[in-house]
Amino acid sequence: MESKTLKPILAVYVAAFILFLYGPFIVLGILSFQQGPEGGPQFPIIEWSTYWYKHLFGLTPPSRIAPLPVGEALLRSLTLAFMTMVTATVLGVMAAQAFRRRFRGAGIVFYLIVLGMMVPGVLTGLGTSLLANNVVGIERHWWTTAFVTHVVYTFPFAFLVMLAILNRFDGSVEEAAWSLGVSPARTFRKVTFPLIFPGVLSAMLFAFTLSFDEFPRTLFASGRDQTLPLAIYGTFSVEIHPNIFAFGVMTTLFSFALLTVYGILMGLSVRRAKKIAMQEDIS
Amino acid sequence: MAKNESIFRLENITRRFGALTALDNISFDAPRNEYISLLGPSGSGKTSLLRVVAGFEKPDTGRIHFMGRDITDLPAHKRGIGFVFQNFALFPHLTVFENIAFGLRNGTDDVTDAEINSRAQDMVELVGLEGLEDRVPDQISGGQKQRVALARTLIMQPKLVLLDEPLGALDANLRGRMQTELRQIRERLDVTFLHVTGSETESLAMGDTVAVLDRGRIIQSGTPEQIHDTPSSPDVALFLNRFNLFDGRLSAQSFQGPFGTVPVSYVCQNPKDVYAVRYDRTKAFRKGDALPGPALPARFLASEYLGSSIISFFETADHKQVEVDHHLSFGDPDDYNVGEEYILSWDPRHAIVFGSEVAA
Repeated sequence: MESKTLKPILAVYVAAFILFLYGPFIVLGILSFQQGPEGGPQFPIIEWSTYWYKHLFGLTPPSRIAPLPVGEALLRSLTLAFMTMVTATVLGVMAAQAFRRRFRGAGIVFYLIVLGMMVPGVLTGLGTSLLANNVVGIERHWWTTAFVTHVVYTFPFAFLVMLAILNRFDGSVEEAAWSLGVSPARTFRKVTFPLIFPGVLSAMLFAFTLSFDEFPRTLFASGRDQTLPLAIYGTFSVEIHPNIFAFGVMTTLFSFALLTVYGILMGLSVRRAKKIAMQEDIS
Repeated sequence: MAKNESIFRLENITRRFGALTALDNISFDAPRNEYISLLGPSGSGKTSLLRVVAGFEKPDTGRIHFMGRDITDLPAHKRGIGFVFQNFALFPHLTVFENIAFGLRNGTDDVTDAEINSRAQDMVELVGLEGLEDRVPDQISGGQKQRVALARTLIMQPKLVLLDEPLGALDANLRGRMQTELRQIRERLDVTFLHVTGSETESLAMGDTVAVLDRGRIIQSGTPEQIHDTPSSPDVALFLNRFNLFDGRLSAQSFQGPFGTVPVSYVCQNPKDVYAVRYDRTKAFRKGDALPGPALPARFLASEYLGSSIISFFETADHKQVEVDHHLSFGDPDDYNVGEEYILSWDPRHAIVFGSEVAA
């Protein structure tokens, strides 16, 4: 009775949700197969072609449309995202580990870390740049100021993921290792880390993706050499060609590939996670 | 070291959690190469005591000595004291064999791989886990996990092993078998077991020495016979779950309780006047029977068949439950009718009287 009215409503809701989530990407995907170089970013499709993909890789004869200046920016962004991922995850794991014991001021420190997520990005970027330029005397680069803002931005996410994981972690396995004469450092490496590894993977994924398409903080902090989101934004100011869409499809596919790797690694440690769950059930 | 020398000694150990005092100025000498069982109700501080000895927690005051050394400030991994957890705390990502070999493989001592493997294999055999070496903990049963936990600890050849309610997670059948096995394994190795439990039967059955813990204090320690036959206080008698306890008033040479006034020959010092009679010393009689001692009228409630004995529950006029344990080797039990009144009685020489006044 209830489901007769509720079910269609929910179905429409889910359909709308999926449409809004994937609609833009589908449109983008379709337009990336627009004919070139005359075809623009609008319907109808004059003729289906892979011109813009070839254009992206410089495989088309020279035309009035300049190739997308993204090659170096892409490499830069990947490097930056990787650096950010490693640093933020290490910091996140360490901070979450510290929070397993109540220490003086733990509450305040917790809120200070988490509030970092909420500070307006543009202001953080601007503030970091001013601080670096005028106070500390460091030049703005993607690998200095932008890197710092990225770590500051992604660290709370990694921290929260690890906090949730360690919250459910049964510390008695660590105590068991100590009572066998194994030092705390080695216990962390041999017991704690393998068991929290699924969480570490999630934290890494968060940090990487957040950093990879970060825009507002990077805008001021990246200095002369632009990261990928900035480079793409830069091309908008001239004229929009479907080569951007082709590029968007490529990066999305890359993200999917990344997710697949994550999924495989997760799958490998799922058996381990199941074992932990079983042991928790017994206790 | 002689057998009577102590393996570890606690000196005035106090541990507080905020307003709660988990361990209240405990001093205890643990005999070497024995099975010590520590009996206490939940919340008595028994797990805190183990964790302090193991080094997982620091006492607020007091010193801990182990094999003649003060280890109070030593971290857990440098103490060489084994610990068996109630939930086993096996390493879920390692096989049974690697769980057992873990301490040797990751310890500070230089042990060759060949020696590690042979010692781990010996342990597998000692606890009877042959054929399960390559399983992971979620593929074995509770009893097998218990054995892995024990083997993992014993491979390090500790002189002291702390067991935190190790049988609590096992079913009754398995518990009985593990009790015997734990004792046998301990006797084969020169090692002291300190076994913490909330079960009075377990503590009496397993301990060479039994210590009773209540509200952070050790209130009695001795052999199981001493504890069982002569509890030093009504609290101990209560934990043993084998005594009917009656409040009353002790005067010069008699105790006045719900069963009337009985003469008293010996009194254990205690702030409160309590009269204790063991369940199996208490007997039920019909009206008009000759009684061995005092008469306590009580209504029959129900009985419980335990195999070798029958426990019958009676209720007195002031709604106090009294238990009568009849061992079947003494003959067939009487049939009682539910709701009918009987007279409970006992030989007063078997009673234990606690009181502030010492009888003449």
